[in-house]
Amino acid sequence: MSQIKISNLQKHFGAFQALKGIDLMVEEGTLLALLGPSGCGKSTTLQLLAGFETPSAGEIRVNDRLISSAQGVVPPEKRDISLVFQNYAVWPHKTVAENVAFGLQIRKTPRAVLEEKLGKALKTVHLDHLADRYPSELSGGQQQRVALARALIVEPSILLLDEPLSNLDAHLREEMRFEIRQVHDLLGLTTVYVTHDQGEALVTANQIAVMNGGSVQQLGTPREIFERPANAFVAAFIGSNNVIQGQLAREGALRFGRTELAGLQRGRGTVGDPFALCIRPSKVRVVAPGEASGNVLPGQVIRTAYLGEYCDVLVDVGHGVSVRAFTPPSLDFSVDQPVLLHLPTEDCQLLEPAQRVTS
Amino acid sequence: MGVTVHASSPAAVADELKNHRPWVRWGVVSAVLVALFFLVAQPLGWILYNSFHDDQTQALTVGNYLRLFTAKGLLQPLINSIVLAFSTALLSTLLGVPLAWFVARTNMPGRSWIRLLTLAAFVTPSFIGALGWILLAAPNAGWLNGLFRAATGSASPLMNIYSMGGAIFVCAIYTVPYTFTIVASALDEMAVELEDAATTLGAGVLRTMMSVTIPMVMPAVIVGFILSFIQGMTLFGVPAFLLTPSGTAVVTTKLAEFYQLFPPEIYMAAAYCMPLILLTGGLFWVRKKILGRKRFVMIGGKSRAGRKVDLKAWRWPALAFALIVPVTAVLLPYFALVVVSLSKAWGQGPSLDNLTLHWYQWAVLDNPATQSAIVNSLAYASVSATLCVLLGTLIAYIVERRLVSGTSFIASLTNFPIIIPGIVLSVGFFAAYTQPPLNLYGTAAILVAAFVATFLPIAFSNGEATLKGISPDLERVARILGASEARTFSSITVPLMRSGLVSGWLLVFIPVMRELSVAVFLITPKTNVMTTLIYNYKDGGNYEAVAAASVLLLVGTMAVVAIAQWVNVKLARHKRDRAEAEVVQ
Repeated sequence: MSQIKISNLQKHFGAFQALKGIDLMVEEGTLLALLGPSGCGKSTTLQLLAGFETPSAGEIRVNDRLISSAQGVVPPEKRDISLVFQNYAVWPHKTVAENVAFGLQIRKTPRAVLEEKLGKALKTVHLDHLADRYPSELSGGQQQRVALARALIVEPSILLLDEPLSNLDAHLREEMRFEIRQVHDLLGLTTVYVTHDQGEALVTANQIAVMNGGSVQQLGTPREIFERPANAFVAAFIGSNNVIQGQLAREGALRFGRTELAGLQRGRGTVGDPFALCIRPSKVRVVAPGEASGNVLPGQVIRTAYLGEYCDVLVDVGHGVSVRAFTPPSLDFSVDQPVLLHLPTEDCQLLEPAQRVTS
Repeated sequence: MGVTVHASSPAAVADELKNHRPWVRWGVVSAVLVALFFLVAQPLGWILYNSFHDDQTQALTVGNYLRLFTAKGLLQPLINSIVLAFSTALLSTLLGVPLAWFVARTNMPGRSWIRLLTLAAFVTPSFIGALGWILLAAPNAGWLNGLFRAATGSASPLMNIYSMGGAIFVCAIYTVPYTFTIVASALDEMAVELEDAATTLGAGVLRTMMSVTIPMVMPAVIVGFILSFIQGMTLFGVPAFLLTPSGTAVVTTKLAEFYQLFPPEIYMAAAYCMPLILLTGGLFWVRKKILGRKRFVMIGGKSRAGRKVDLKAWRWPALAFALIVPVTAVLLPYFALVVVSLSKAWGQGPSLDNLTLHWYQWAVLDNPATQSAIVNSLAYASVSATLCVLLGTLIAYIVERRLVSGTSFIASLTNFPIIIPGIVLSVGFFAAYTQPPLNLYGTAAILVAAFVATFLPIAFSNGEATLKGISPDLERVARILGASEARTFSSITVPLMRSGLVSGWLLVFIPVMRELSVAVFLITPKTNVMTTLIYNYKDGGNYEAVAAASVLLLVGTMAVVAIAQWVNVKLARHKRDRAEAEVVQ
């Protein structure tokens, strides 16, 4: 069991700064998800944690033991960390059993102990009947389980997962999310899970670090991240919030063109600062004139898609901003139709714009 | 503000991490660099150093270079070489490009046989081909000339292989496989859709060919031309056999002459290598530019099995044309060599009472010189191929996985011998390792080292290609499970590379077996190999013995290739059978 402490971690690749000094504390037994779009620095963070890269500055400590700094790194094999790769990296020239047992052979585990642990590990991931197969004869999901069993059999103090589900089909992915969660709860391993899929992060993690442009935008529980995003980037990335850019008109209100939109003030700023209003599409309502007062924006329908449970309607509200609204499927809209959008004040969050945080 | 307490002081931090410095990696990289220094940098450095010294006085001078341009006897071989190389490349392109088109794109009969026989020309050492052609077309005793005289009653021969024309012809038929393979694979890889697009726009067959097909394969044609040109420039055996008897010298045979002088003009020879290096280096640079600018081989399409152009009645003339290379480069010379090797005296021509196995018995059982040459050839080729693949794979691993910075320097040093003609490398190794402190003259080591250096680029690029197909994650996962870098390399990377390593081994073994020019200055009677033995026996005029030795060389090479392939297939099948057996259970 281990606690990971990352301080001011930076990584440059030539002129490109992949990590701009991140600080993270992963408490013992936590499952932390590093969530962000591609190029946000989440995979670089994982490579640094695994010891494949040397940081440009900052350090990583596990239980106060320094394992990475700009002066050098403890090599991967001496870290007591396991990693499950995105492409599984199951060795094609070894059978399932040989793959899983490899870590124990390296540790010169006595034969009897090895056999016992191997049997147990294969059973845990439901692969005991496939022990002598070669990977080419396994499905993607089974290869995934081999990779997981291989990583867990060495009883690491930390488990790293690099987009472990992204190569699986949608159905299997759903199932494996819960399985990973289950394995984590069973073993209580400190785990870092890299993903770009917010659904995966919300299901599996205790803690989520949302990353963008090489820095951590917000660290919090899934609920905190989803319900109280720290800035417009997090809001837009999680729950695909609408982001309406404007200026702070006063405490609790955004100036958007000639309209003032009221909302809950989350970010800090002085009047006149660039600010953003965020609202989830499911909270946006299309109303008839006079049906609602305050926070009403006129606009024109750009496109509409019928999705069965609801309609996804995109509305141009002027000033180059469009707003998505999920409307009841019974309502029918046509392109170019003028509509009124109501943004309920209690669902609007006023946040600092993403640019200010990411730059 | 309180005092910040650090868990450990900076000095202690440095110490902790220092314990994990990758010593093994540094050790291996240093060993590789040392090997590259001795195999590449040192011999070439000596050539450069020697070229600026006088043979008589040992003084520093540019006199050798001045002589190169002023002395008449020295400029002429250079011109001859260029004439030979240019004509070879031209003829090889004129033969190879239509051949490639017929095989890849038309319904000419016997396409796969033509492909196979053209590749057989590829593995035949050209100097053995030249021997075959001496038997066929020597002005007096050559069989074809004999037939011609008997048929026409003419007193003069049909052709004289001991001429520039003869040398160009033999060089060309053995370089056609280069132009053929490159152009054929470009045609194979070219998407038929690109041609279809032109056809649907209303272009006819001819128009499509002129505006799409030919421009698309043009880079391949040029690269093929360049490679043939380099072959023509750097071949030693063919001009030594076909041009030296008539007193015509080319650069490579002139280089050998410097060593036969007494005292040998070794420093002059070094300077004489320079135009050759500059020319081949420049041509390789042009080739790289062409390949880099237009990635023509990458233009892929889904449908590989393209429609074939229907040649109709032209199929048979096309086949006749396509047979030129297989007949002249493989069937005729092989036939001549085999028949002569089984003859008591080849001048009597092929007949039953002339038949004997004497020369094989002589070569294998009676003659210690051929016996030791056979053993040497097989031993040196095996050892060189093994060392070369070992070193090439290690370098490929270091470069491909970027284990250290400056890998591009290591890669270019490794690839450098590719632009060095074999005979020049021979000069370099002679200069570097036949004098104290490193006097290896007369040992097997100097030959093996020269072979390793010559074919290192092949082993390296083969290793690189194999490694590119292996995801680094497969290695990383072993590291993270606790395996050291060395252990990961041996138990993950090497097994995954297995079939690539076997083919790399063969890619080195085959050319070492047939290599003449690299060995030519480095052998002594004790370390003679088959090729140098054949070269020396030919001077003695004993063609029956030479033919028998040549046939033995060809058969021996093919036997080893067959065994290695068989082992590789067997290993792969064994693995698959085991897997299948377990699936069935």
